[in-house]
Amino acid sequence: MTTVAEAGGAPRAARGAALDRLFEALCFGAATLLLTALGGLVVSLAIGGWPAFERFGLSFFTSATWDPVQEIYGAAGAVTGTLVTATLALLFALPLAFGIAIFLVELCPPMLRRPIGTAVELLAGIPSIVYGMWGLFVFAPWFAKHVQMPIMMSAKPGTLWETITTGVPNGAGILSASIILAIMILPFIAATMRELLLTIPAQVRESAYGLGSTTFEVIRNVSIPYVRTGAIGAVMLGLGRALGETMAVTFIIGNAHGFPTSIFASGSTIASTIANEFAEATGEAHTSSLIALGLVLFLITFAVLALARLLIGRQAHA
Amino acid sequence: MIHAGSPRLSRRIGEAAFLAFCWAATGLAIVALAAILWSLVSQGVAGLDANVFTKSTPAPGSEGGLANAIVGSLMMCVVAMVGAVIVGVLAGTWLSEYARDSRYGKVVRFLNDVLLSAPSILVGLFVYEIFVAPLKGFSGLAGSVALGLIAAPVITRTTEDVLRLQPVSLREASVALGAPVWRTILAVIWKSAQGGMLTGALLAFARISGETAPLLFTALNNQFFSLDLTKPTANLPVVIFNYALSAYDDWRRLAWAGALLIAATVLTVTVAARMLAREPRRS
Amino acid sequence: MNVQLESPPETAILELPSETVKLAVKNLNFFYGQKQALFDVNVGFAANAVTALIGPSGCGKSTLLRTLNRIYSLYPGQKATGQVLLDGEDVLGSRVDVASLRARVGMVFQKPTPFPMSIFDNVAYGVRLYEKLSKADLAARVEDSLRRAALWDEVKDKLRESGLSLSGGQQQRLCVARGIAVRPEVLLLDEPASALDPISTARLEETIAELKRDYTIVIVTHNMGQAARLSDHTGFMYLGKLVEFGETEQVFTNPVTTRARDYITGRFG
Repeated sequence: MTTVAEAGGAPRAARGAALDRLFEALCFGAATLLLTALGGLVVSLAIGGWPAFERFGLSFFTSATWDPVQEIYGAAGAVTGTLVTATLALLFALPLAFGIAIFLVELCPPMLRRPIGTAVELLAGIPSIVYGMWGLFVFAPWFAKHVQMPIMMSAKPGTLWETITTGVPNGAGILSASIILAIMILPFIAATMRELLLTIPAQVRESAYGLGSTTFEVIRNVSIPYVRTGAIGAVMLGLGRALGETMAVTFIIGNAHGFPTSIFASGSTIASTIANEFAEATGEAHTSSLIALGLVLFLITFAVLALARLLIGRQAHA
Repeated sequence: MIHAGSPRLSRRIGEAAFLAFCWAATGLAIVALAAILWSLVSQGVAGLDANVFTKSTPAPGSEGGLANAIVGSLMMCVVAMVGAVIVGVLAGTWLSEYARDSRYGKVVRFLNDVLLSAPSILVGLFVYEIFVAPLKGFSGLAGSVALGLIAAPVITRTTEDVLRLQPVSLREASVALGAPVWRTILAVIWKSAQGGMLTGALLAFARISGETAPLLFTALNNQFFSLDLTKPTANLPVVIFNYALSAYDDWRRLAWAGALLIAATVLTVTVAARMLAREPRRS
Repeated sequence: MNVQLESPPETAILELPSETVKLAVKNLNFFYGQKQALFDVNVGFAANAVTALIGPSGCGKSTLLRTLNRIYSLYPGQKATGQVLLDGEDVLGSRVDVASLRARVGMVFQKPTPFPMSIFDNVAYGVRLYEKLSKADLAARVEDSLRRAALWDEVKDKLRESGLSLSGGQQQRLCVARGIAVRPEVLLLDEPASALDPISTARLEETIAELKRDYTIVIVTHNMGQAARLSDHTGFMYLGKLVEFGETEQVFTNPVTTRARDYITGRFG
């Protein structure tokens, strides 16, 4: 009778244990590599951007001057452009995304559920650069002719409305970029929202319907309160995407530095500025300022994403 | 009660308006998708001929295609995916099998989610800082690293998710036969989860094959055909970006053809991944 | 004198003659983190016999089973103190190679757990871990195991098909075949029939009765009838303690302790 410790041969057992430790170490190493990558990303942006912070100080954040000739750089214009386009995009996308999610969960005939669900997924799958091309070559001319021109023509001179709608009617600019961004984040918010709505227990909804509520009342009084926390998280996730979106915006925002003056004016975002200038950046101040912009973008999106994960996580555990 | 006045009518109007809005929102999304697809097909097919696949990117006015960009993109994506699958699968396995409730596991999980949604252009900046600047040169390899860094968190996340779905009893059954843990994971758990893991890898591939921003200052571009990933490497997204914004009609035509190619690839892979995910388990 | 007046004992544990005991549990305590799940369990499992563990849900019978092959040591928070002696050697000792222990003490779980591979590979999985058999020997071992598990006739023509393609009852017998293919000395069964229909259950019980000749079997079950039909000894557990242990016939017809009597008569009556 072999003893337990010897059964199968001690070397064999030792080898098994060693392989177990090796495999666990490999997995641990891979996980740590990801952690290091994110850490490295932040550190490298901080190091690369440091000369700009040092050189311009606080004015890097308050000035909207972006002048490669005189080598004076301020982030305020790009930061404003980023925040304005992302916020506008969210305002457009949110109600639509909610409508789509409710449609898919509550209204959609079962036969259409798969195809429409797939269509929304495809919208999410289209690469950013395709949105950019479509925005510039198809959407912008249409937008200029059918939206921008009529609005600008009808604006009464001297009113606030006139001020915020001035610009070159070529279809590119802040508002166009926001609309393209809205289309891009729409499917993400809709998909997350749909998942959340599906977590509502059937009995809860059915008992509300059983009391004679209309669909609208069930959604307003039962569904929305039920998923509120997670829904805010989904919105933040969409906002995070809009803030960091690069190619589509680069195509259609017009790429002008400084504060945007109206919704039809050309502008720039942090991401579009980096995309346009980094490869051809001249001199250390320029490169460093662009990396500093990147750090600012990272901090903004990190805050938004962290909040989103926190809220979605809480909903999932509720 | 709020509805005391004319409950029936106001409720019915509210309900109708609400339902109409939901229908309209969905309709709008589908119209947008149709419009984009239509533009792609109508503009892209015109530029799509044999030259696109056989000739390299041309000088303005001369005949050419996208062969170098297609090959460059494929090479970079393949290299990126190999790295991302190794790192992502192992990291996802660690999160699911070894660190379910540990504090370090929670930190990694959270930061992986951050990396997953971080703006891709920042990944490009990062790779530029650690790879391109020190080595004093743009290269396809740097592009692969950037794309891999974007794909790895996706694979990590999906791997962890599908491994967590595998029943505990499956692990115990294998361990109860005397199998070491690593063997249990490789032969039983991964095997059982392979469909879901493949879906994750396909989605990651779909995501990086359309990525442009992180390649702008890592792989840069190359007008000529080259298989050398240590040099600047042509790739579809950056070629599309440059050509679309150029003043030459034939360049723009090529840009549309390239956009159609990329979109068709990405959408096909996405649909395949989703179908794979929906396929019911054999039982 | 009226014996009825004497109050029944709190516990009644039959001590088996030590030469018949394959697996002896001594002063076993078990903890899930801070929570203690087993209290000072002492019991012997006889060789070539079936021992049934019964008791209400959460009484610790599955926990006891899971200490016998140390499957619990997969989970960092769980620990056992005391001794579990397999042929006189303590398997709870820190120097024990758990993998080879588990090859000697097989286990079949509540729900069927076929691996995502062919029927043949399922049965061969454990064998390949420990033995380098020739192709023919491996095939013979697989056939032998499937025959003993009373599954051979149903699967002999489709050994290359996925183990997941079998019915629930067949899957469970596949798991039994997989468990015995590594030639263990002890077989632990954790409510093996709870997910099965009556016909599959009957077939599985026949299998277990057959296997008794070669193995020491410990079975956890909720089904009183199954325990009575299959086992030679029965242990009744309650709130983490082994309350009564004895010959199955005695425990079922004339339980000594009040707890066991209430449970068994309550279940039957």
